[in-house]
Amino acid sequence: MMSMNARLVLGTATALAIATAGCVTINIYFPAAAAEKAADRIIDEVWQLREGQAGPAEAKTEEEAK
Amino acid sequence: MLGIACTASLAAGAGGLMLEFGRLAHPAVVLDGLSVRLGGTGLPGAIRVGRLTAAGHVIDDLSFACPKLGISGGIVSCKDARLVIPGVIDDARVDLTVNPETRSGSITAQSAHWGRFEARLSPDGTAEVRLHELPIGALAKHFPVIGDFGPGGFFSGRLSYHRHESEQVIALEGAVAAGRFSSADGLQAAEHLQLSINLGARSSGPAWAWHTRMDWTAGEAYLHPLYFTAGPSLSARGRVESGRVFLEHAALTLEGVEALELSAEIDIETAQIARGVITVERGDLAQLGPRFITPVFAPAHAESIRFAGLFNFKALIAEGALEAFELSLEQAGFSLTDSALSFGPVSGVVPWRAAGETRVALQVDGGRWQKLELGPFALDALLDGPRFRAHEISIPILDGRLLLSDLDLGRQGTGWSGRGGVVIEPISMKVLTEAVGLPPMSGVLSASMPSLNVRPGEIALEGALVISVFDGYLQVTGLQVLEPFGSAPHLFGDIEARNLDLFQLTETFSFGSMTGFIDADVLGLELAHWTPVRFDAALRSSAGDYRRRISQRAVENIGALGGPGAALAIQRGFLSFFDSFGYRTIGLSCKLRGDVCVMGGIVVKPDEGAFTIVQGGGVPALNVIGYNRRVDWVELVDRIKRVVESNAAPVIE
Amino acid sequence: MKLMIMLRQVFVMVALALSAFAFAQGNLEINTPAISALQKSMQQRHAQLAPLYASGALGLTADGNVALRDASGVPMAQRGQVNALVAAENADRAALYREIARANGHPEWEAEVRNTFAQRWVERAQPGWWVQGAGGWTVR
Repeated sequence: MMSMNARLVLGTATALAIATAGCVTINIYFPAAAAEKAADRIIDEVWQLREGQAGPAEAKTEEEAK
Repeated sequence: MLGIACTASLAAGAGGLMLEFGRLAHPAVVLDGLSVRLGGTGLPGAIRVGRLTAAGHVIDDLSFACPKLGISGGIVSCKDARLVIPGVIDDARVDLTVNPETRSGSITAQSAHWGRFEARLSPDGTAEVRLHELPIGALAKHFPVIGDFGPGGFFSGRLSYHRHESEQVIALEGAVAAGRFSSADGLQAAEHLQLSINLGARSSGPAWAWHTRMDWTAGEAYLHPLYFTAGPSLSARGRVESGRVFLEHAALTLEGVEALELSAEIDIETAQIARGVITVERGDLAQLGPRFITPVFAPAHAESIRFAGLFNFKALIAEGALEAFELSLEQAGFSLTDSALSFGPVSGVVPWRAAGETRVALQVDGGRWQKLELGPFALDALLDGPRFRAHEISIPILDGRLLLSDLDLGRQGTGWSGRGGVVIEPISMKVLTEAVGLPPMSGVLSASMPSLNVRPGEIALEGALVISVFDGYLQVTGLQVLEPFGSAPHLFGDIEARNLDLFQLTETFSFGSMTGFIDADVLGLELAHWTPVRFDAALRSSAGDYRRRISQRAVENIGALGGPGAALAIQRGFLSFFDSFGYRTIGLSCKLRGDVCVMGGIVVKPDEGAFTIVQGGGVPALNVIGYNRRVDWVELVDRIKRVVESNAAPVIE
Repeated sequence: MKLMIMLRQVFVMVALALSAFAFAQGNLEINTPAISALQKSMQQRHAQLAPLYASGALGLTADGNVALRDASGVPMAQRGQVNALVAAENADRAALYREIARANGHPEWEAEVRNTFAQRWVERAQPGWWVQGAGGWTVR
C-alpha cells in the first residue's frame, strides 16, 4: 500500500544514497523557535501572565500565605 | 591518665615567689607548664598554664590573674580572679582553690558568654562539673561540622566522674532549653527544642556499660523530608567495648506506634552499623503513613494517598546495608483518591531478604478500581531481591474474575519491568453496565491476553479482550498503556466490532430505532488522559441478508449529530407520513486527529464536502447525507450525549 | 510627539505582523487533552508556588524543574508540604515535556523540549525569583 509519493521519495532517497556513496544521514531538526513559542504560550497560561497583572496578584497571595 | 606526676620547683625571687609545676596530672585533667606567681598571701598573683588537657581536649595559654592570692598549708586559693583563654574565653570571673598535693580543688567560673561553670576535684578521684545555661552556640563554634548547623540554646546539667579502685563511673544529668539548629538550606532544622538527658556509664576494665534516657518535651524538627514534633522519648542501654558501641536495647516511644525497639552494634571509627535490628509493633498506618511513608516514597501524591490499619515491621541491618525485613499487615488499607484505586483490608506477611527468595502471603479482602468493586483474593508471591513473581493472582470482579498468571516483575532503577499473562473470566454485561452506570446490555466480557509486557512507564498486552454484546462481538487488541499512574496516562488499542444488532444497540442508547447489523472498526485508538485524541473509526452495515429499516427519529438523531451546519436529504411532506424507511447501507467514518474529527460516509464527494451516511433502498427510501466533514470532537461528543439523553418523542414536521 | 506615537503604532503593527507570520510558519502542537490537563494542574498549583518563588524558598533549575533551595523561611510544619508541591510540580513538568514531544510525533525531542522550557522559565522568571545558571543560584 505504498503511495506514489512515498515511492518517489524513496526512489529519490535511494538515488541520493547511491550518489553520496552510502553516506546518508537523515536529520529531523528540532524546531527550536517553535518550541520556544510553545513554551512561552504555556508559561503565559501557567503563570497567568496574559493579563499583565501577575505581580500584584502574587503579592496578595503571598500576604495571604503568611 | 593513670600515671600521676607532680614535680614542683620552688624559686624565690625579688618580686615574691614563683612555683613551677612541670606536670600536674589527675585522672580527669592534666596540666602542663603550670606556673604560679605569688606575691605573698593576700597579694595579687597569677597562674599560667601552658596546656590543659581534659577529656581529650586541649586548651593552650590559659592565663589567670588573681587580685588576692592565698597560699596556706599547701593550698593555693584565689577569689575574684579573671580567667582569659585566647579565642575561647574573653573574661571570666573565677573563684579557685587547688591543693596540688592531694590533687584536689574546686573552681567556679562565670562569664557573660559562657554562663556559670563549677567544677570540683576531690582527693579520692571524684570530679564533678555543674553547668548552668551553657550556650550551645558558643560551644559549637569550636566544632567545625556542628558549627555549620548554627546550633543555639542552652545546656544546664551536672556531670560527675567517680573512680574507686579500678571502677570508673560517669553520670550526666542535664537539659537543653530553647535548642535549635538549621542547615543553610533549612532542610535539616529544629526549633524551640526542650530535651532532658540522663546518661550513666560504668567501667571496670576496658569496657564501659552505659544507659541513657532522653525525653523530647517541646519543639519541632524537619529532617528532610520528614517533620517531627516533641513527644518521643528514648531509653537505651549498652556497652562500649573494643572500638564498638553495642546498643543492647533501645526503646523509642512515638505516637502511632505501640513499641519501637532497636539494637545495634556500631563501629566507632567508621560509624557503620555492623549489625542492627529494628522492630515496630502495631504501627498505625493512618497516622504514620502520611508522616513517614508518603514523604519518602511518593511526595508528589501526598494529598491523594490514604492509609488505614496496622502493621508490624522488623528489619535486620548488616555491615551498613539492609539484609532482611518482614512486614506484616493487619487489616491495612491503601487508596489513591485521584485515580479511584483502593485495596483493603489487607492482612498477611511480606518477608524480604537481600539474598534469597521469600514468600509473600497476603489476603486482600476487597478493593475498588473506578466504579468496579473487587472481591476478596489471596496474593501469593515470591520475592527475590528486587524481583516479584506470582504464579497466579485471581481477583474477583463482579461476577467474573481477573486472572494474572506467571507474573515476573523486577524493579530496575526507574521503574518496573517484566512479563506475565492476563485472562478475564466472563463478566456479564448486565452486571458490568449496571456497575459502571451504563444503560443495561446483555452479553459477556472476557479476555485472553497471554502476553503482558511491562517496561518502565509502559504496559503492553498481546491478545484480545472480547465483549459479546448485541448479538455480535467487540474485540479489543493491541492494548498498551503508557505512564498508567503518571500525570498524563496514554492508552492505545484497536477495536473491532462485528455483527452488532442495530435494533438492540439503538434501543439501549435511545437512539430511535434501527434494524440491521453493523460492523465497526476503531483502529489506532489513542486515549490521552482517558480522552480520545486519535483514531480511525469506520462503521458500516454488516454483510448478509436481513431486514434493514431506520426510524424517522433515528434519522433525525443522525441529523442532529451533524449539528446546525448539516443538512438532511429528507424530502418533507410525503416521507413524513412514514415511521420508518428502508435502507440499503449505512456507513460512517471518523478520522480523529487531535480535537478534529474528519467525517466520511459510504460515498464521499470531496469537492462538495458531502458524504452519504444512509443510502436508501426499498419503499419508501431515503438518503442521509452529511455536509460538514470537519467536526470538533468535543462538540460531537456533546451532541451524541444530548441525543442519547433526550428521550423526547420525535418531532416530525 | 505625534510622530513618535505614529512610529510606535507602526512598530507595534510590524511586530504583530511578524509574530503572526512566525505563528503561521510553524507551531508545535500543544492543544491536546493531556497537555491541557497538565497545564491546568500546574496553573492551579502556581497559586501556592508563586509566594514560594518570591520568598526564595523555591528556585527554577537549569534542567527545567523546580527545586527547594532554601526552606529556612518556610514554617517548619509546612516544609514537608512544600516538598510535596515540588515533587508534584516536577512530575507534571516531566509529563508536560514528554507530552509535547509525543504530541508532535517525536518522542525523542523530550530532552530538547525540556531544555527549551528550562531556558524560558528562567528567562521569564519575575524579579526577585531565584534561578539556577551555570554559576549556581542567582536572583533575578
